[in-house]
Amino acid sequence: MKKILLTLVALTFAGCMFAQNAKLPENVTIKTLDGQSVQSSVIQNDGKPMIISFWATWCKPCNRELNAIKEVYEEWQEETGVKLIAVSIDDARSASRVKPHVDGNSWEYEVYIDQNQDFKRAMNVVNVPHTFIVDGEGNIVWQHTSYVDGSEEEMIEIVKGLLKEEK
Amino acid sequence: MKKIILGALLLASSGVFAQGIMGGHVTGNIQFDGQISRQDSTIGASDVPENLLMNARADVLYANGNFSAGLRFEAYQNPLLGFDPKYTGQGIANYFVSYQGEKLGVTLGHFYEQFGSGMILRTYEDRYLGIDNALFGFSVNYRPVNGVTIKGLVGKQRMFWTMGNGIVRGIDAEVNLNSVIKAMDNSKLRVSLGAGFVSKYEDDATITFPEDPNYKLALPLNVGAGSARIDVNYGRFGFQAEYARKGQDPNLMNDYIYRKGEALMLNASYSQKGFSANVQAKRVDNMAFKSERGVGREMLYINYIPAITKQHTYAFLSMYPYATQTTGEMGLMGDVMYTIPKETVLGGKYGTDIHLNSAIITGLKTETVGGSGTEGYTSDFFGIGGLYYGDASLEIAHKFSPAVKATCTYGYVVFNPIVENHEGELHHNNVLVGDVTWKVNKKNVLRFEAEWMGSDSKYTKEIDDKRAGDWIMGLVEYNFAKNWFVSLSDQYAYKDGIGNYYNLSVGYTHNATRLQVGYGKQREGLLCIGGVCRTVPASNGLTVSLTTSF
Repeated sequence: MKKILLTLVALTFAGCMFAQNAKLPENVTIKTLDGQSVQSSVIQNDGKPMIISFWATWCKPCNRELNAIKEVYEEWQEETGVKLIAVSIDDARSASRVKPHVDGNSWEYEVYIDQNQDFKRAMNVVNVPHTFIVDGEGNIVWQHTSYVDGSEEEMIEIVKGLLKEEK
Repeated sequence: MKKIILGALLLASSGVFAQGIMGGHVTGNIQFDGQISRQDSTIGASDVPENLLMNARADVLYANGNFSAGLRFEAYQNPLLGFDPKYTGQGIANYFVSYQGEKLGVTLGHFYEQFGSGMILRTYEDRYLGIDNALFGFSVNYRPVNGVTIKGLVGKQRMFWTMGNGIVRGIDAEVNLNSVIKAMDNSKLRVSLGAGFVSKYEDDATITFPEDPNYKLALPLNVGAGSARIDVNYGRFGFQAEYARKGQDPNLMNDYIYRKGEALMLNASYSQKGFSANVQAKRVDNMAFKSERGVGREMLYINYIPAITKQHTYAFLSMYPYATQTTGEMGLMGDVMYTIPKETVLGGKYGTDIHLNSAIITGLKTETVGGSGTEGYTSDFFGIGGLYYGDASLEIAHKFSPAVKATCTYGYVVFNPIVENHEGELHHNNVLVGDVTWKVNKKNVLRFEAEWMGSDSKYTKEIDDKRAGDWIMGLVEYNFAKNWFVSLSDQYAYKDGIGNYYNLSVGYTHNATRLQVGYGKQREGLLCIGGVCRTVPASNGLTVSLTTSF
């Protein structure tokens, strides 16, 4: 019995180690669309949840995802106050095309360029699209790689779930 | 049993220690790629005596406030087809400790850095291409006031499991005028200026020339390169420029000539909601800059000269991709995006997106003045040389209903084999692509893709270019039960060519974990299936890929 108990306690502690959510890194340098270097701590939403989407101009599924969310973004914002941060991993080849791409697609997101991919590495992004949901305190609570048409609906459900928890 | 409990307790106490006393978080990602491939000369898949090939890697990151540390384990037993055999082996390939404060940041160990657009320095890693030229050393960045960033670094570059000979030293400064000058704080005019300098030191190396063993060159031990850049934005207008120069740097890439290098990149854009236009121009002259002068191919590059052509994602449009000629090229690219508004005749209920892109790349106009050990050549700055590559593409995307979206693309590519170091005639290709997505319901999505390519190239045994001829392709992709996908595709050379590439892929994604199994013949190139893009080498057989982030 004692042994079982000890094991249980030990397992609980071990579980703690993995259960705690990672925080959004604060001092990684990224660039704004007008070329200014800023620290990743600028990514904020007044204590409300955020969706952080890593994408690239050449990535078709990324563009499908961001274009699909565009259709419902206004609705999402009104309903939940969520903000979408689109982090482009375009390198020198296409980084200068990010701003025209964003405007050309009429995206209303907050966009940053992670040309040296420091932010991508800090967030353990392997392939794009890779999307994170961050709660009001900056904890990464959910992440997902790849995009299938319609999977944005799962994202907003999770955001709504976060808001319910807070209440 | 006792041992298990002891082990669990140890784990627990370490957990308490990590959480309670030190705090912080451990995150990471793991990737495994396995390949069983058999020889297939029709597609260029080579014989695999070991039957199974695999690449595996794991990154583990520990972050605690401003402090972070990380390491990467890599194993190649043996490397996948297309990867350099020099990767064979396993071990800790990358490790670092880093402190990134609000004003000061320091990294010891392996790091990736980029000055400006990378024309004089960019170290990066691309796991699918098998490129990792990380610097191993010391890097510091300092932000004395808001809007000013100064970077400094010293290190040697990774080459497979060893390091290059040269020591790389660099310094870079960037100023954002709007943050520094109070009067410009709220100005519509946004200006950033930057400048950098990189120096490489390398021991004297004896270069012997087979034609004359007594012919030796006095090689510069230190090679310097500098660049200056500007980034201006005014409302809807944007302008970026960077100019770089490099000192005498005789190396294998430029055939040991003493000519100095230079490069210029210009970019201008105009954009507003629903419309954007963008023009890029560049001129690169003898800018291959490596930390070891005798190393060829893509290894040990200190700088990065990007191709300005569009990175096409459809198979036939990316069949002949353009690779930057760091020794010399000129290029011009134009790009226009326009959305025909909703509720118009052409826009329909949901609007229509039009994307037009065109690029042309040529060599420099040069006059040879000698071989190795001389100036090499002279060139006129505005002189245009022979055609290397040209393309034009028009993409029209239209949403017919909430469930059905379609994209039609026409593309034209003209390609000079000299870009891949083969003499030959220009290839002219016409490509048509139709791409339809049908969202049957919330849990079932179908995607169809059809492509055609007409080419004036014919397959011959002597040249053995397996991309030659006229091609057709079909693809069906079915996403179901939210997390699953199946895709079936075939590419077939129906005229003047050889090859039939069929492929069946099944994938499962759960949060940040993705497993994909594929069977069939794989062409080398950029591949996008089931929501993710990656570069793959030629193979014939079974592939398994697992990635997860935690």
